[in-house]
Amino acid sequence: MTRESHPTYLLDRTRLHDSHTLDVHRKNDGYRALETILKEGHSPEQVIDLIKNSGLRGRGGAGFPTGLKWSFMPDANKDRRARYLVVNADESEPGTCKDRVLMEEDPHGLIEGILIGCYAMRIRAAYIYVRGEYRFAYDRVAAAIEEARRANLLGKNILGSTFSCEIWMHKGAGAYICGEETGLMESLEGKRGHPRPKPPFPAGFGLWGQPTTVNNVETLFNVPFILDRGAEWYQSMGTENSPGNILIAISGHVERPGVFEVPLGISAREVLEDCAGGVWKGRRLKAWIPGGSSTGFLPASEIGLAMDHESLKNARSMLGTGAMIILDETACTVRSMEILSRFYEHESCGQCSQCREGTQWLTQILHRIENGQGRMEDLDLLSSLASGMAPGKTICALADAAAIPTHSLVRHFRDELEEHVRRGCCPVPSSPGPAAAPPRSPSVEVKA
Amino acid sequence: MTRITINGKEVEADPKKPLITACHEHAAQVPMYCYHPGLTPVGSCRICQVELQQGEIPPRIVVACRTPVAEGMVVNTETPQAHDARRQCLEFLLKNHPLDCPICDKAGECDLQDYSFSEGQAEGRSVEPRRKLEKRKNLGDVIVLDQERCILCSRCVRFFEDVTKKPQLTVSGLGSRSVISTFMDRPLTGNYQGNVADICPVGALTLSGFRFQARVWNLDKHLSTCGECSRGCSITVEVLRRKEVKRLRPHFNEEVNKWWMCDHGRFSYARLNAEDRLQGATLHQDGVPHPVDRETGIAAVVDMLRVHSGAYILISPWMTVEEGEQALAFCHALASPPRLLAPPTNDLKDDLLHTGEAAPNRRGLEGQGFQTQSRDDALSALAAAECAVLIGERITEILGVEALAELSNSIRLIIFDTHALQVSATNVCIGIPNAAERTGTWINVDGHAGRIAAAKPAPPGVASLTRSLEEIRAALAPVAGEVGS
Ligand SMILES: Cc1cc2nc3c(=O)[nH]c(=O)nc-3n(C[C@H](O)[C@H](O)[C@H](O)COP(=O)(O)O)c2cc1C
Ligand code: SF4
Ligand code: FES
Repeated sequence: MTRESHPTYLLDRTRLHDSHTLDVHRKNDGYRALETILKEGHSPEQVIDLIKNSGLRGRGGAGFPTGLKWSFMPDANKDRRARYLVVNADESEPGTCKDRVLMEEDPHGLIEGILIGCYAMRIRAAYIYVRGEYRFAYDRVAAAIEEARRANLLGKNILGSTFSCEIWMHKGAGAYICGEETGLMESLEGKRGHPRPKPPFPAGFGLWGQPTTVNNVETLFNVPFILDRGAEWYQSMGTENSPGNILIAISGHVERPGVFEVPLGISAREVLEDCAGGVWKGRRLKAWIPGGSSTGFLPASEIGLAMDHESLKNARSMLGTGAMIILDETACTVRSMEILSRFYEHESCGQCSQCREGTQWLTQILHRIENGQGRMEDLDLLSSLASGMAPGKTICALADAAAIPTHSLVRHFRDELEEHVRRGCCPVPSSPGPAAAPPRSPSVEVKA
Repeated sequence: MTRITINGKEVEADPKKPLITACHEHAAQVPMYCYHPGLTPVGSCRICQVELQQGEIPPRIVVACRTPVAEGMVVNTETPQAHDARRQCLEFLLKNHPLDCPICDKAGECDLQDYSFSEGQAEGRSVEPRRKLEKRKNLGDVIVLDQERCILCSRCVRFFEDVTKKPQLTVSGLGSRSVISTFMDRPLTGNYQGNVADICPVGALTLSGFRFQARVWNLDKHLSTCGECSRGCSITVEVLRRKEVKRLRPHFNEEVNKWWMCDHGRFSYARLNAEDRLQGATLHQDGVPHPVDRETGIAAVVDMLRVHSGAYILISPWMTVEEGEQALAFCHALASPPRLLAPPTNDLKDDLLHTGEAAPNRRGLEGQGFQTQSRDDALSALAAAECAVLIGERITEILGVEALAELSNSIRLIIFDTHALQVSATNVCIGIPNAAERTGTWINVDGHAGRIAAAKPAPPGVASLTRSLEEIRAALAPVAGEVGS
């Protein structure tokens, strides 16, 4: 469903019959990059330099330059500790479902990316942490690992070279916070998924205290293509600071929800209209979320924004995981925010005071406003509380993830909030009323 | 040492300690809840936020307890940004706090209360209902948990992980549903539970024995030493109305007990408050005690010792070094060898504090020249003695009242103890102060000197042991041909 005008690579193989098998994968250039590296004896440093030059940025949410992250790993000659690559396949950011497509339809592409990453960082063991609900994806990757092992693409002396590497898989148990890289490592170690304060950073003190790199599935999936086709090819797509293609999962009030491959920098309108077939039933666009729930609401007037790191940052949002959520004119942004806020309250690990109490407080206020018990001063209180939670005031960015959409609601949809308060009820006619989840605490008498 | 700048002042800081230590050492007020110098820092409560400038990076807010000290750091604890960050954090912590300070045992020494007082807003901005949780949850016999007051700092969790090395507590539940709990609600065990009430920065963990016993600001605190084993932990003896010891708490001592003490020591204060104390002295006839004043008792002792020089003398390992000094002179005057009763042992020995040797000053008294004698040897010696003097707190208790009851009536038995010994062999008992009623020094198992403090007055008619022994020695001096003082 990609537009003909853009060159694609990420999803090309997934359209083939039996794309998940080693057979089909290898017939379509699979493992070619790995073979070349091992046969021609590229040095790990060369691989890292190539990734640096390509400008690849992480697809897990923060958009951190991947080559730079890899270069943070300590020199293996001086630091002889075990080292790990951890693959973040926990994909739980509301709206996001792109890693799932890759794992289900092209698991060997991920495995090749992992192996090249391990080669570049002189790592001999990788862990894939898969979201617990992704059973099918888990099975597909597990089967692909077996296939790869039988074909000597994995294990000892891969393809007859001196490079050996193992991949282990782990199932999450349903906590969003275990997608945060340090919470994930705690969880992998068998503990509660409580994020760790940084410093120390994973490159120095990661899984079991050893040097570790954490990368998202889609990030690693890009790697073999870059190795195979070169940095220049990669930079021919996307923008200068955000090169390459990205998978956008678009959901909500659209005609054709799904996962689409587009170049970074494409306008959000193009994604909405050309990929997703426009707003559902020809209705009017009211609000949209550009990159997963944590990136907040943007008004319809900003649908022309380019989907890249800089443009969205300038709009006080983020590219995040590239998961667009579309709200049409029948949606209530206050209720939508209440649902998101309840999600963050439910998923906060509870270590940091501001996040534990703040996510609950925001939810309570939004619940009151949506149910006609709001006060005008609640609007500023929402922003003020969100400012107390973030940025950078807590151990991990979950507090930021709750604060950013709260700020965006007050910034862009203040009118709608005020109308809730003035009318003493939700003004959106077809809004289904109070959010489906029952309120956690009984409402109180409030000073008007 | 590393040079850093705190609030505009260049200072030296220990690079091995977190920034918060340097702040505190240089009079910068930074609050803390999750941080405790004796526990692994986790940096989770976020109350210790300060502004840090390092090199080219623009100033940012960091938690002082998880930030290592580095050369050239510029720290500001008082910028509006730092104040705001802390105030906001405090507001979140108070959002669900029950504010039941009037009935909270921690009130008056609560870190949350103190910091709210100095920094908090006068008016709360929350109109939401507060979290309803369990207010009285027994975590075993020692500790009661109030889940509503808990701020989830996890100090108690880390105490068992880091200090006793036997994890017992955890945070269960996620986010705003988090509570402190034990595995499957099993009761806490072990000899160190009480410490978690001390380190709890709020009133969430209280000692079941101290609940509703006193307002802490009415307690007089006296720096002292625990006498329940030869570790001699530094403690405070906390007394209500100059009368009743309400609480013993550990006092930081780097060499001896750091921040901790054991429950056995902590709850030994009932003994210090015992009601049936010997006041003045008693003279015994056929086992029946007749109360007399101390002077009459002393005169009776002097009469007896005039005819029994060379009496068998045994002292208690609870005696202080200062009392030992006087006892040594006393033995010398009577030409008796100085003997010390061996401390009892118990099965509380562990790797942390308790030594299993249940008395505080054997090392000090042996160093002064006393010969330690086992209880069995002491009892055989008593059985053969014509006259014996047993001196010091708990001496009759260690020898055993039953064993002493078997002594023949022909022995002249003189006792200096806190309680009268009601056995037929007894002739005279002189009352003495207990460990909370006298000052002095105990030397612990490693040779560290610990001072004990007179935290409350001795019962009426009781004088110090030193004074009584000195008076007797003086009265005997001409007869025994020794030079008195
Ligand atoms: C609350 C929270 C949840 C996260 N969940 C995920 C996730 O499900 N998947 C993911 O790849 N990254 C997630 N991240 C981001 C990771 O911490 C980390 O930045 C990422 O895996 C790094 O990979 P990349 O450099 O390849 O993007 C999450 C971050 C936070 C703060
Ligand atoms: S910000 Fe929230 S989720 Fe992250 S560590 Fe703190 S409490 Fe846990
Ligand atoms: S005292 Fe520093 S974060 Fe809790």
